[in-house]
Amino acid sequence: MNRSRKQVIAGLAVIALVAGACGGSDDDEAAEPAAEPAAGAPCDGAIDGPVTLQLTSHSSGDAYTGAVSSFNEGPGAELGVTVELIDLGETGYEDFIVGAAAANDLPDIIDMDGPFLYNFAWNGFVQPLGNCVPDGYLDDFLPSIVSQGTYNNELYSLGSFDSGMGIWAKRSALESVGARIPETSDDAWTAAELDTILRDLEASGVTEPLDIKWWYGAGEWRPYGFATIVQSAGGDIIDRTDFQSADGVLNGPEAVGAMTQFQSWAADGLIDLSAVDDSNFIEGDAALSWVGHWMYGAYSEALGDDLVLVPLPDFGAGSKAGMGSWNWAMSSDAVDPDAVWAFIEHVTQPKQVEAIAAAEGAVPALQSVLDADPSFAPGGLRHLYVLNLQSAPDIAVPRPATPAYGAIRDAFSTALADIVSGADVQSTLDDAVDAIDSDIEANEGYPAG
Amino acid sequence: MHTVSTDVDTVTSSARQAKPPGGPRSVRRAGILFSLPAVVLLLVFMVVPFGTALVLSFTNRKLLSPLPTRWVGLDNYRDVLTDSGFWGALQNNIIFSVITVPVQTGLALMLAVLVNQKLRGSVVYRTLYFIPITFSLSAASVIWLVLLNPSGLLNTVMETVTFGAFTPDWLNDPRYTMTAIILVSLWASVGFQMVILLAALQDVPKSLYEAAAVDGASWWQQFRHVTVPGIRHQLFFVVTITLILSFRLFDQVWIMPPRPGGPLDATNTIMVEMVGTGFERGQIGRGSSIAVLFFLIVLLLTVFQRRFEPAD
Repeated sequence: MNRSRKQVIAGLAVIALVAGACGGSDDDEAAEPAAEPAAGAPCDGAIDGPVTLQLTSHSSGDAYTGAVSSFNEGPGAELGVTVELIDLGETGYEDFIVGAAAANDLPDIIDMDGPFLYNFAWNGFVQPLGNCVPDGYLDDFLPSIVSQGTYNNELYSLGSFDSGMGIWAKRSALESVGARIPETSDDAWTAAELDTILRDLEASGVTEPLDIKWWYGAGEWRPYGFATIVQSAGGDIIDRTDFQSADGVLNGPEAVGAMTQFQSWAADGLIDLSAVDDSNFIEGDAALSWVGHWMYGAYSEALGDDLVLVPLPDFGAGSKAGMGSWNWAMSSDAVDPDAVWAFIEHVTQPKQVEAIAAAEGAVPALQSVLDADPSFAPGGLRHLYVLNLQSAPDIAVPRPATPAYGAIRDAFSTALADIVSGADVQSTLDDAVDAIDSDIEANEGYPAG
Repeated sequence: MHTVSTDVDTVTSSARQAKPPGGPRSVRRAGILFSLPAVVLLLVFMVVPFGTALVLSFTNRKLLSPLPTRWVGLDNYRDVLTDSGFWGALQNNIIFSVITVPVQTGLALMLAVLVNQKLRGSVVYRTLYFIPITFSLSAASVIWLVLLNPSGLLNTVMETVTFGAFTPDWLNDPRYTMTAIILVSLWASVGFQMVILLAALQDVPKSLYEAAAVDGASWWQQFRHVTVPGIRHQLFFVVTITLILSFRLFDQVWIMPPRPGGPLDATNTIMVEMVGTGFERGQIGRGSSIAVLFFLIVLLLTVFQRRFEPAD
């Protein structure tokens, strides 16, 4: 083997090994944005012949399969519409939709978490519901659902439920350390008060008193569950005046102070970071569980009367809570918008809203359904969720309605992980701001329309 | 030797004389035909994508965006080269390679010598050491995630062995994450190098060992002066390929830490930067420029390394 041939082979080996690794990032041909939505009037009032619609969902739980089968057997059978449920799970849901859009193979109906909407709408994956929605149809919806579904002054989506955030607590454990039990967000513990409670609980034998579901990993949970820390201190994850920068709000002194406090709880072992399931709170290794409405069912069953819901702590500018949840939208490639609307209408009727919200433990999207459930009424276990939503955006804070949300989520999620691992708070948040701002800059400020 | 080659020449030339003048052309055609599958695959999956990456690296191409793609000249390269994340990732890659290349080559050589002995059961050990190569690395990473949990199997062993003095949180504590990744990587890939060296060992002529034994050489002297020179080309190949593969560190550091490349960028690598930029953040143009820089870095290393290649 002579030298030059060996050089060729060595060169090819390098190309094969390195370029093989890079190959994936060059697959750009399919990356065309989906077609522009037909503006304003997708519905023509008629369903043209039998049609099968694909619905991608994050869940194939009973509530979802039930909603689909009751549609297929009821109004669907009459109208000649069949809905096919495709369960994608929650992890990687967004990647799947982006991939489907890149391959020009979007489903007809997309069930998506609230904040995905704005980027999907900006990219043209989904179209406004427009004239499909009859006059007066929105009257019974919670205002938060309508505002979550609105981007650029157009209604794109409707949800069957909204979410609630707080701390599920063991009443007996709190009473044993003499902690007061706040009932409304105005009355929330201050961060200093929570600090004392956590240390008292630890001293009383609760090994890692605060459960924060760290095992959910880097997904929507981190910004949904913990952006409130920054917001409660007076900061935010993006400057909402024009959505062009996070500088000064995510890395300001308020945000840094609150995150430093949170970091100290992790460093002092007051937060359970190694849990791999819900058993820590249920079995008593943790006395407080910082989590959303979806644990209502499991927790109330396990703890009964000992379970109490308290607001998230006040880091200086008042207690805040997350809001918004999964909702239904019409893709731009929908074969028949009238058929899609028939399904969305079905799953936003009181009966379905009640069933889906009950299965999720969530706040029903319709005021009439909400009023009928005593656990949401004054004195009820979940009344706090309703109070918070009624005070939105002052207490329940919507996730920012910007196409940059994905970048904000990733930057915040990374920063939170590093802060919990002990990183310098100021420089970590500065880096997060850089990541967000450079994404907005790379997308030319996400110009509307 | 001389006579043999002359004979061959004679045979060849007589064959040529027997089949003039279409012979050479048909031989060339057969050569082209035989190399075609490999060349086409290399073109389609290596050269064309790399060419595309090169072109895209001068644009602001997004994964998905309603905005038009524009030429941005060298902006992507400037942004990447002034980004501390990129240099931190490169530094991690270098640390990882500096440790794994010698350790893994040494370990592979040791294992190869061990399983090369004519002992009962050596085939079983060959298989055991090679088995991890057949696993999907991402699946193995998930298993290791469980083993490395603060209260997992490894720490239970560590607790017994060290009497409770050393049970680190392998993946969440930035001081230990790279160590954990290196351990998993060694386990996952040492069998590959071992098999190459094992084949090389079996090619070293027995007569050389016999001659050395007759001369009274000890085991170490035989190893040092017969074995190592006998497998020097394969050893060099193993070092080269381990270096290139070590720069591609990705699956483990994407899956195992609390966030890809974390904690605190302790296991961030250029591959993580590239995939994160291109797919997570959707900046295909900038991701492509990282891919091009990555290619150049590995190419330079390989060219530099070739200066130490043993002579024939």
